[in-house]
Amino acid sequence: MKGPIRGVAATFLALLGFTAVWLTVGSSYAGSRYADDPRNTRVAVDLDGPRGRMLTADGVVLAEDDGTRRSYPRSTAYAHLVGYDDGETRTGLESTRIREMLTRDDRSLEALLVSLTGGDLGPPDLHLTVVDAVQRAAIDALGGRTGAVVAIDPTTGAILAYVSSPSFDPNTVASGARHRDDLDAATAIDRVAHRLLPPGSTFKTIVAAAALNRGTDLDTLFDDAADYTPPGGIPINNAGAGPCRDGTTITLLDAFVVSCNVVFAELAVDLGGGPIVAAAARFGFNARIPWELGNEPGVVPAAADLDADTPALAQSGIGERDVRATPLLMAMVAAAIANDGVAMAPYVVATRTAPDGTVISRYSGQSLGRVIPMATAAALTEMMRAVVVIGTGTGATVGDVAVAGKTGTAEGGGGPHAWFIGFGPTDDPRIAVAVVVEGGGSGGGVAAPIAARVIAAWRDSMG
Amino acid sequence: MTRRREAILIVFSAVIAGAGTAAAAITLGREVVSDTVGAVLTQLGAFGTVLWAITRWAPSASRLLLAPAAFITAIGCIEVYRIDRDLGRIQRWWLVIAAVVGATVLYLLRDRGVLVLRRFRNLFLFAAVGLLLLPLLPDGLALAGAEVNGSRLWVRLDLGERSISFQPGEAAKLLIVVFLASYLADRWRALAEMPRRLGALRMPEPRQLAPILMAFGIAVVVLVYQRDLGASLHLFVVFVVMLYLGTSRPSYLVAGGTMAAGGMYAAAATFSHVQVRVEAWLRPFDDYTGSGYQAAQAVFSLGNGGVFGTGLGYGSPHLVPAAATDYVFVAIVEELGLAGGLALVAGYALLVTAGFGIALRSTDRFRSLLAAGLTVTIAAQTFIILAGVLRILPLTGITLPFASYGGSSLLANMALIALLARISHEERA
Repeated sequence: MKGPIRGVAATFLALLGFTAVWLTVGSSYAGSRYADDPRNTRVAVDLDGPRGRMLTADGVVLAEDDGTRRSYPRSTAYAHLVGYDDGETRTGLESTRIREMLTRDDRSLEALLVSLTGGDLGPPDLHLTVVDAVQRAAIDALGGRTGAVVAIDPTTGAILAYVSSPSFDPNTVASGARHRDDLDAATAIDRVAHRLLPPGSTFKTIVAAAALNRGTDLDTLFDDAADYTPPGGIPINNAGAGPCRDGTTITLLDAFVVSCNVVFAELAVDLGGGPIVAAAARFGFNARIPWELGNEPGVVPAAADLDADTPALAQSGIGERDVRATPLLMAMVAAAIANDGVAMAPYVVATRTAPDGTVISRYSGQSLGRVIPMATAAALTEMMRAVVVIGTGTGATVGDVAVAGKTGTAEGGGGPHAWFIGFGPTDDPRIAVAVVVEGGGSGGGVAAPIAARVIAAWRDSMG
Repeated sequence: MTRRREAILIVFSAVIAGAGTAAAAITLGREVVSDTVGAVLTQLGAFGTVLWAITRWAPSASRLLLAPAAFITAIGCIEVYRIDRDLGRIQRWWLVIAAVVGATVLYLLRDRGVLVLRRFRNLFLFAAVGLLLLPLLPDGLALAGAEVNGSRLWVRLDLGERSISFQPGEAAKLLIVVFLASYLADRWRALAEMPRRLGALRMPEPRQLAPILMAFGIAVVVLVYQRDLGASLHLFVVFVVMLYLGTSRPSYLVAGGTMAAGGMYAAAATFSHVQVRVEAWLRPFDDYTGSGYQAAQAVFSLGNGGVFGTGLGYGSPHLVPAAATDYVFVAIVEELGLAGGLALVAGYALLVTAGFGIALRSTDRFRSLLAAGLTVTIAAQTFIILAGVLRILPLTGITLPFASYGGSSLLANMALIALLARISHEERA
């Protein structure tokens, strides 16, 4: 009988031991898996604890705890990126990254192990990829006009500047001086990622990419007509009223450099809806960009609809009619061309550090895959470089940085929207930019100089 | 370990009870002084009384039993008080009564020892069956059955303006263990011999099995009829394990396991409230607002504690329905953390180890079986409810020994500890 008693005793003790292990694993799993569950009312309290700071790549503090509330030392400059916390609602990175800035002392087994090995469990700081010098240059260059500027490192997807204008002071919302519902919708909107506009001639980069993918090259000749009337549609004119060159023929390169509407409208009709929509979709149209602050998907109509409606197809070829894009999307188009045809997902948090400075986590860009062949990217780079050297985009010239780009002047209700997308330096692109000034005028005259100032500021900040 | 050290450990448990009660009372804004003094005095008085009774009537008893029980009780009382002030205060009275019951058991057995229990074997069996049948008494009498949460296992004694509710099943379990130990000690040879064959299965003479099957059948039928699955499962495990221990025949375990599996399957197929439990076990978040609510809240609660817990009064254990009874362990883990939970499990492991140690040292077959049966009772109950609240198994609502709120359970378990102490005394004397 003693044998069976030993066996039963061992069994029950083993069951208790198993329970202890299950409890250990289960409670820490439940802690991490269900801490964010909206039905879990236990966690809501924790979000009010002390929080770390947000800093730019050049060390400027963007958000920090200030007694009882959050404070934003750069005021209006980062309202749409950093967002605000008014105690009830959070926006921007204040919302998406709140958990990463809270103290790591969450009573978990992991936190205990970290503290036992001498780790600092205090509220971590977030170091962003944005460069305050570049951001400031973009804000100054916009000069309060309605629009947006976004700059990206094309090789990594790191956001270098993120400006939406007009802006508001998040401090007034955080302090309660102004209720968030009283913010003007025109200032509250993030025009970088949530404002859809016709991209105008900047969309010619995509039509050109579609043509280059199908064997057209820079020297392919097109008729240089003064206007083009698609069957059943209204005439499409060039910007200068008249032919783009001498009225005979024009190469693809020259048509791109002077932004020849007639050539690109006809090219779009020749290509048909399929190739254009496919190229646009590869660049990120008709889908959401993986960007943590969300975005409105760019719009290109379905290929079948375009093929059934030649005037719409022709106008889509010059970025009008129903084609829509956000500045963020167009910046990614420029960035993908700059990065030899590979698109990178945008990101803005570079590192997360403990108060004692040790790096807790490091973030890097993720590839979204190849968008265009390397040869197409090289050809587009050559075309876009020519735009800045001898074409519509000379306003984007920066002293010692070889800039490539494309202007756009899109139809808008209150005057044309001025667009510029570009990147530099062309031999080793490290910054891609998209600029839009709503109702601002011509892309070459208004948007291109803003891009130049942003790129110059970036060059200066690199030392 | 000497009696003096055991006394020191009991004082420690009283300090824990006082400190925890004070912490909870301060956080929750309750009567700090009176509740703290009450907790300390109750803990000291109750376990002091049992210790005194052991010293007097079972002086050679194992010194390993009382300290873990006192520790678990202290933690349980703190958490019950934290969840519900009034339940916590009532629990103190139950603890005092339980101590008196434990001391009484030791007093009654002071001269003739546990062996005297064998004489009343059949009386115990009938008493157990009677106790199990009590809740089926119709409503409206002075002593009436009562239904709580769909299970009819309560009896309410009407005393004019007041009434006392208790679960007679808790006491019945002890009586059945005593009956089984006695019966198996006498008849084990007959039960171990297996002259009959039923297919590939060897069987003892059916005549030998009859009383056991009857006892088992009545208990299980009554419990299933009362829809108390936890107690039914618990009793079944104790039965089967004791049969195995008494006969050293693993075939009883095999047959018992098969019957248990079949019974659970049948229960799941028959009773809708069992199906609901199984669903809540496997997929608590599918019906979050309905049947899964309790299990889902328990998951949130477990995840909230971390290593050292939120601190008494800082968690939200009351969001889990039945936090003070079935789910008291989850509440303890939320507020005292993984550390508190593991300490409690260690306490049970100590208690169970001490109990089996007594069974192993006993030279007399009855005493050894009784000690093992009592220990299995407490070990199985602990595992069934821990596994239920931690979702290792479906939840079957029974109390966590010494920790859950509930007088019947506390009384029965204190009597159980007293019996174990007496057995260990007799083996050493």
